[in-house]
Amino acid sequence: MEESRLNAMKRSFSILEDRKKRLFRDDYECINELSDRVKSIRKYSISNLEELIKKAEKRFTENDIEVIFAESADKALDEIYKIVKDEPIIGKSKSNTVNEIGLSTFLMNKGIELVETDLGDRIIQLDEETKGPSHPIGPAAHLNIKEIARIASQKFGEFIAPEARAILDALKNDVTKRLSKCNVGITGANSIAAEDGSLIMVHNEGNINIVSMKEIHIVVAGIDKLVRSVEDAISVVKLETIFATGKKVPAYMNVISSPSKTADIEQILLKGMYGPKRVILILLDNGRREALKEYDECLLCIGCGSCIVSCPVYNVTGYEFGYRGYLGGRGITFSRFITDNQTCFDSGLFQCTECGLCTLECPVNIKTNEIIERLRRESVEKGKYPKKHLETAERIKEKGSPFED
Amino acid sequence: MIYFRGCVAREKLKRISRDTGEILKLAGIEYTILENEECCGSFLLRTGFREDAEKVMDKTLKDLEGEKILTSCAGCYKTFSKDYKEILEVELDVIHSSQLFKELIEKGHLEVESIDRKVTYHDPCHLGRHMEEYDTPREILDKITELVEMERNRENSRCCGAGAGVRSAFPEITSKIAEMRLKDADDAGVNTIITSCPFCILNLESACNDDYKILDLSEILFKRLKRT
Ligand code: SF4
Ligand code: SF4
Repeated sequence: MEESRLNAMKRSFSILEDRKKRLFRDDYECINELSDRVKSIRKYSISNLEELIKKAEKRFTENDIEVIFAESADKALDEIYKIVKDEPIIGKSKSNTVNEIGLSTFLMNKGIELVETDLGDRIIQLDEETKGPSHPIGPAAHLNIKEIARIASQKFGEFIAPEARAILDALKNDVTKRLSKCNVGITGANSIAAEDGSLIMVHNEGNINIVSMKEIHIVVAGIDKLVRSVEDAISVVKLETIFATGKKVPAYMNVISSPSKTADIEQILLKGMYGPKRVILILLDNGRREALKEYDECLLCIGCGSCIVSCPVYNVTGYEFGYRGYLGGRGITFSRFITDNQTCFDSGLFQCTECGLCTLECPVNIKTNEIIERLRRESVEKGKYPKKHLETAERIKEKGSPFED
Repeated sequence: MIYFRGCVAREKLKRISRDTGEILKLAGIEYTILENEECCGSFLLRTGFREDAEKVMDKTLKDLEGEKILTSCAGCYKTFSKDYKEILEVELDVIHSSQLFKELIEKGHLEVESIDRKVTYHDPCHLGRHMEEYDTPREILDKITELVEMERNRENSRCCGAGAGVRSAFPEITSKIAEMRLKDADDAGVNTIITSCPFCILNLESACNDDYKILDLSEILFKRLKRT
């Protein structure tokens, strides 16, 4: 990432850090208690994942939500395509899982437009130089207002002043117009209550309220998002919000447990009253079960992004240290499972200093530096390492010293 | 006691092993150094060369097992304390120089004097977050300097950017991180940074100009000893 963009990112990170610090000072006990609760919720989930998957399938089906299990990204794309192939345009809200499967490029190649509705996501969608979000909740954290105005002006072919409200209005008007043409909305889910058959989404802009009310609502989520109950899921997303934004609650928490329905006329069940006729949950494995075998800790993640804010490497490289919105060290470890060792290597497996700061900042204390070290070992065994490391290793073996002279 | 200097204090920043040796002598501590001291294995472990690491560790262990070991380097200290235990299943009797210095001061084997020179302390990742040793170096510095804390300190201390092979393979990342750490000191209004890891010093020194002083705890302590 360019120097100026890194500086903009660091500025927004420091505002975020200050807000978090204040919240933690005022609500320390409350947050601590919630962290402990979420740690045990998430640990239960990954230790009982198969059972939760079964329960989810059963309960969602009972709730009239269609469940499709996708073992790979390709399968998920195929399934989505089957549903949307006749649509010219689809609305979308922020989702790492949707980015993970590469839906945007896939649909573009099929001639289907995907409209990002989160302001930050929309901005980076319009900017050709940006290669991804720089923070899971603040995707455009690396862009200053002048740059954003320039990007928007270019896009709309007219001058848009570097003024926040003017930029918002221009983007909102454009997105609203496009959204009105959509019959399908795609979102992720922040947490999924398997035993209740409920999907929980959090947002601040209100965009999910619109995207999820289209005729068909498709939800793409990893199996690692499963927890037992709605109460558990709310705890998870509340903690995620606290660690991601420094606010205790988001503007909106949507709990969706069925398509929109009514039985007000002689108990005749009709679906699609104001909201969708169909809600379809695509449950994605895509390497998560493999991670579960020896690296289950990696799946504890609740996606708050707190780890990257303090990460020394992330602060000087930006999203290049990560993979497709899975940012920083934890994102890199995750990429090993949702893709392969080569991608993990390219995403920065050997760029982490193993300093351990991210573990401290993580609400579920994932020991990313230890996971990185283990994955490096695997990578070295496969012959993938920085050349410099081999040279140093050779010197150490030969003369007991890493130095050349 | 064996003083295991570690590669940086042995070959690059010899002033650290020299001053540490002098302090030990002044305190009347008998110690030996290994003529053919090699590697603790840390670099190989952190960078994934596990098989090589185990060979190197086996070799080094032969010289150290059963001895009391003193280290200057936070990385050696962590590796001997944690990795030898986990991988080779040996519990080594290892102490970091900061801890020994504190003991020697408390027992009256070293007498120190304070000068009101402002310094700040950088927690090395391997001594701080990984071994949870935050207080000992500070207790010594409180006795001999005016310690000013950086905002990011103790468990929140910013990494110097050198660790786990990043400095050798991605020097541009390392130097940018080191610059951020130097700026942390600037923001605290101090240009003398004391730390307890020769590798951090090597790294921070190569990222700064002469306006800064980056010193090992042993160096500043040595200057503050009352000689009798
Ligand atoms: S351990 Fe690695 S990923 Fe975590 S904060 Fe340090 S450099 Fe970043
Ligand atoms: S690893 Fe921890 S801090 Fe990072 S996104 Fe996941 S839960 Fe948040």
